[in-house]
Amino acid sequence: MTAALLFARDRGIVVLWGLLILLMWALGGSSFASYDNAVLILNAAAVTAVFAAGIAIGALAGVLDLSIPGTAALAGVVCARQLVDGRGAVAGIAAGLAVGVLAGLVNGLLAERGLNPLVVTIGTLSVSSGLALVVTGGLPVSGFTDLEFLGTGRPLDIPAPVYVMLAVYATGWLCLTQTRLGLRLTAVGGNAEAARRCGVPSSRYRVIGFAGAGLCAALGGILTAATVAQADAVVSTGVLFDALTAVALGGVALSGGRGSLPRVLVGALVVATIANGLLIRDVPPYWTTVATGALLIAAIAADRALSVALTRRTLEVPR
Amino acid sequence: MTAPALRLRQISKRYGATTALDRVDLEVYPGEVLGLVGDNGAGKSTLLQVASGAHRPTAGELCVQGRPVAFGSPRAAAAAGIHMVYQDLALVPTQDVGTNLYLGDEPLRGGPLRYLGVLDKRRMRREADQALARLGVRLGPTSRPVELLSAGQRQVVALARAAVRVMAAGHGVLLLDEPTAALGPEQSRQVRQLITRLAGQGVAVVVVTHDLPLCFAVTHRVAVLHRGRKVADLPTAETDLDAVVGWITGARPHQP
Ligand SMILES: Nc1ncnc2c1ncn2[C@@H]1O[C@H](COP(=O)(O)OP(=O)(O)O)[C@@H](O)[C@H]1O
Ligand SMILES: [Mg+2]
Repeated sequence: MTAALLFARDRGIVVLWGLLILLMWALGGSSFASYDNAVLILNAAAVTAVFAAGIAIGALAGVLDLSIPGTAALAGVVCARQLVDGRGAVAGIAAGLAVGVLAGLVNGLLAERGLNPLVVTIGTLSVSSGLALVVTGGLPVSGFTDLEFLGTGRPLDIPAPVYVMLAVYATGWLCLTQTRLGLRLTAVGGNAEAARRCGVPSSRYRVIGFAGAGLCAALGGILTAATVAQADAVVSTGVLFDALTAVALGGVALSGGRGSLPRVLVGALVVATIANGLLIRDVPPYWTTVATGALLIAAIAADRALSVALTRRTLEVPR
Repeated sequence: MTAPALRLRQISKRYGATTALDRVDLEVYPGEVLGLVGDNGAGKSTLLQVASGAHRPTAGELCVQGRPVAFGSPRAAAAAGIHMVYQDLALVPTQDVGTNLYLGDEPLRGGPLRYLGVLDKRRMRREADQALARLGVRLGPTSRPVELLSAGQRQVVALARAAVRVMAAGHGVLLLDEPTAALGPEQSRQVRQLITRLAGQGVAVVVVTHDLPLCFAVTHRVAVLHRGRKVADLPTAETDLDAVVGWITGARPHQP
């Protein structure tokens, strides 16, 4: 029984995705189950997945960063500005990513001063989206071609953002599971006080969690700008909801310390698959938003139910 | 005889108007198990907090192996070989047993991977298994997350973690606050054996407990606190339950 609960908690998302694919296949037929459509789903999932990785890294360290859309917009326009000014792709991307890390550090240092982290990140969401408007003067920045390799390039007939997504998840997964940094980050998310008593500087690792979230947010923003060859200061909170849903579906505990990046990736694929399936069935896109929100709530409810059941079992049955 | 592993000299601790500890002298030697008993509010937890660096004494002196020390933090005390097992356990529930044993002191891979901070997970698991075997503790696979263990098993993990750190240094002091409070008989027995085994390996153990049978079973010496003062301190073999209960309640006069 405990094993079944553990399976549901740790592998349930993969099963869910499998069922979803079968369902969409039954409903959508060959227009769903084709190579081209699979690539389309992957591409649609890519940006969401990168944002989701940021939220997940933060959540593992026990911090929830809601400023991600603002960081993404600011990083995107800063990068685009560099490109328009002719400084080249490397400088542009580096500047954008630096903005992300900086935003994360600001979040982290404020939250470690005892300010409520949720409110801090909502505050910096507003600050960074405002700054993005200041940088652009209100008009989208366009007229650069340096990011085509990131946005619309298709090496081996697979869109470039899919490679970026895979690279982010592979690196993140290695970092989290194989290095001391990752181990301590998740330990701090699991019980910051316990980690501190073991000599781990907990608050430093929480700041690192924010910085990781900011870095992924910036990468997501740059990727967005690359795919549409234009950077817009207008913040889309939709990406935040999609990413949060992917994280919750992936079974990352928003209270910290538990979760795995590969499952978050599957969560992002689930979100993209649903959107794609509904699109194929000609369901108006508004319903996708409704479905995503419902899915987010269902995901955290399921996670809670499973955790409660597991705790009850371990406390009742002494071994 | 060798120097005491830990010695408290005339230690006092006041919280505002309350005197939690009043000029207490106490020593514990390597390989010795000292039982610290007393009624609620007698000052037992305060004494452990002072000894473990969580609180500074108002007056008095601490000596580790004969040398005076002043701890600014639990980490400083741990560096000097004094480890406290907290009543609230302080484990990371989402992490496995092995990680909890080595958190803060994780083995890394050799060569260039070391600079990337790559963990040597195999070594961590092997050392965890060995350490638990040496302590005579059976918990099942060390890859199991602590949140899936029973309360008793968690207590054993918390104890084993402090024990691993003390043993790695080869000497040290283990401070235990009510180690069997939440345990069933089987786990209680494991903890009892663990304490005896650690002492056998040269560790000095101070155990605070309300469980007098446990106290008589594992300790070499008993010290009794009453309202912040030490009222008795003698070899366990030279006293009995009635006498100790008398000192605890205050019915029996101060030991001559
Ligand atoms: N942090 C504190 N602030 C104020 N008073 C305290 C504090 N800790 C303990 N005390 C007081 O010190 C006395 C000894 O407490 P404690 O060491 O917890 O006793 P024990 O562990 O033996 O039950 C009690 O009177 C208690 O109320
Ligand atoms: Mg107490």
